[in-house]
Amino acid sequence: MSAIDRVTDPLERFTQAHAARMAAAVIVSVIAFLWLPIGVLVFMSFADGGVLSFPPDELTLRWYREFLTNDAAIDAIVTTLTISIPATGITVALSTMIAYAIDRYVFPGRSWLQLLATLPIIVPLVVTGVAMVLFFKGTLGLPDYVAVVIAHVIRTIPFATLVILPTFLSFDRGLEEASKDLGADEFETFRQVTLPNVFPGVVAGGLLAFTLSFNEFVYTYFVKGSGDPTLPVYIWNQIRYNVTPEVNVISVVFLAVAVSMVLAAVSITRVELIAQR
Amino acid sequence: MGESPPSAGESADGSGDGLAADGGSAPGVDGRMSGLTTYLRERPRLRTLAIAGPPYGILVFFFAIPLLAMLVVSFQADQIGGAWTLHNYTDFLTSDTYLTVVWRTFLISVQVTAIVAAVGYALAYSIVRFSRRTTLLLLLVILPFWTSYIIRMYAWINILQSDGVLDSLLDLAGLPTLGLLYTDTAVLIGFTYVWLPLAVLPFYASLTNLDGDLIEASKDLGAGPIRTFLSVTLPMTINGVVTGIVLVFIPTFGSFITPRLLGGTNNIMIGMVIENQFKSAFNWPFGAAIGMVISVVVVALLVLATRLGGGLFGTGGETA
Repeated sequence: MSAIDRVTDPLERFTQAHAARMAAAVIVSVIAFLWLPIGVLVFMSFADGGVLSFPPDELTLRWYREFLTNDAAIDAIVTTLTISIPATGITVALSTMIAYAIDRYVFPGRSWLQLLATLPIIVPLVVTGVAMVLFFKGTLGLPDYVAVVIAHVIRTIPFATLVILPTFLSFDRGLEEASKDLGADEFETFRQVTLPNVFPGVVAGGLLAFTLSFNEFVYTYFVKGSGDPTLPVYIWNQIRYNVTPEVNVISVVFLAVAVSMVLAAVSITRVELIAQR
Repeated sequence: MGESPPSAGESADGSGDGLAADGGSAPGVDGRMSGLTTYLRERPRLRTLAIAGPPYGILVFFFAIPLLAMLVVSFQADQIGGAWTLHNYTDFLTSDTYLTVVWRTFLISVQVTAIVAAVGYALAYSIVRFSRRTTLLLLLVILPFWTSYIIRMYAWINILQSDGVLDSLLDLAGLPTLGLLYTDTAVLIGFTYVWLPLAVLPFYASLTNLDGDLIEASKDLGAGPIRTFLSVTLPMTINGVVTGIVLVFIPTFGSFITPRLLGGTNNIMIGMVIENQFKSAFNWPFGAAIGMVISVVVVALLVLATRLGGGLFGTGGETA
């Protein structure tokens, strides 16, 4: 006992004395680790010279100009948006219904619904991707576009639900009772009382669903045939087969989309809500 | 049947409402006409079906059934609808090459999980216990998670390749260059980078929920900070730790992007074998069988985690 104490006591005292400094060091170094690679990407997008050469000779906007005149990249962005926007709409509607049902109703299979709405996060993407290509293409023979939109909906439902459900759970139901006592039916109550109150959560869920869908790669890569790649698939092909300096610019596009969407989502709800997963 | 007050339909709906609104609804319900009451009594099920039905149906049909379809296809020969066979599994399980790949995948996943758990917990602990700007810090941690996975890997290609950022800086400093790209180290760095934000969140949540008085009590009783951490803080937050471990281990085990982009030709992981079946070998049933092998590992881990008390589905909103 005392022998152990002789070893541990100085350690305990050292930790006690320097705890705050150690914590600060951890925070600074980990956040630097998380952000330095992003800084490198942004910096390299302005770098003159060829692909992936560091340090660059001078800084330039040349790659941004080339990106804007590159039809393949612009087409990829358009393709992504034609998938992400409808997928986000469908996901927001479905996740709101899930949140409403789980919050309000007791029904057989309620916990199964909650499990099903969470599972796509847990099942490895590659497994679900394989299952989807087998079933959507092999069994159902769905067209590319429909199959990919459905895949994006499945991918985004858990995240949107995780944001929307807590807003429903924390909403004061007394307001609805008041509305119903005043003669409004359930739909009117939902439209005029419930929806305005849960709206920030629903919008935040939609913003995150869109971000996720805009970045979605694995499901799309498996389900979608070749041709008309989405932006993530386009950039995957670029990185694997012929890197051009525009890849750096496209990285900045991804960053801008993610940062603006997440900041918008955070500004209308609590950061803890977004940070659920 | 319709007259008895606590009928099945009404009590099912009423218990849901009653939890939050308590007795407030009783006079209103009693005062209504019996015809309306009967109608309302039947309506909740219809209403519930109309609201829960569509998302339920979509999740079952487009998520659960495809997974079952994968199970079915994994027992077919050569192509979908082929003759029934166990060959996909026996081929996989008797191949030294594939078993080596599974073992390597497992080892990498364990290493990644250990690194991410240690660093992520240290970060979450530092933020919760020593910082007042938690919102800002949390935002800085989660923001990178919402950017494209591939882009984040590409950033590390820029940094780790020979003549990349890291080697150039080492060179400037007169140090030997490392040329880390296409090594196991690069794969570990890449995984650690993408999963850190994901793991910090459950750690952060469980540490926030920890009652600070317990730590004070432990210190009052004479325990130093390390002893307090090991005997109070860590055991009390074990659910968050288990959740974080599961959230890191599972996607690492199934990943193919990181080893494909950062690993060398010797760093094959099981996810890459699946990708290969669907993108170049075109043996879908064999790919489905490997998908099932991964699923078995995942389910085993989840069962283990549940035994250890991980609140995997809890962080979301099962607080109701």
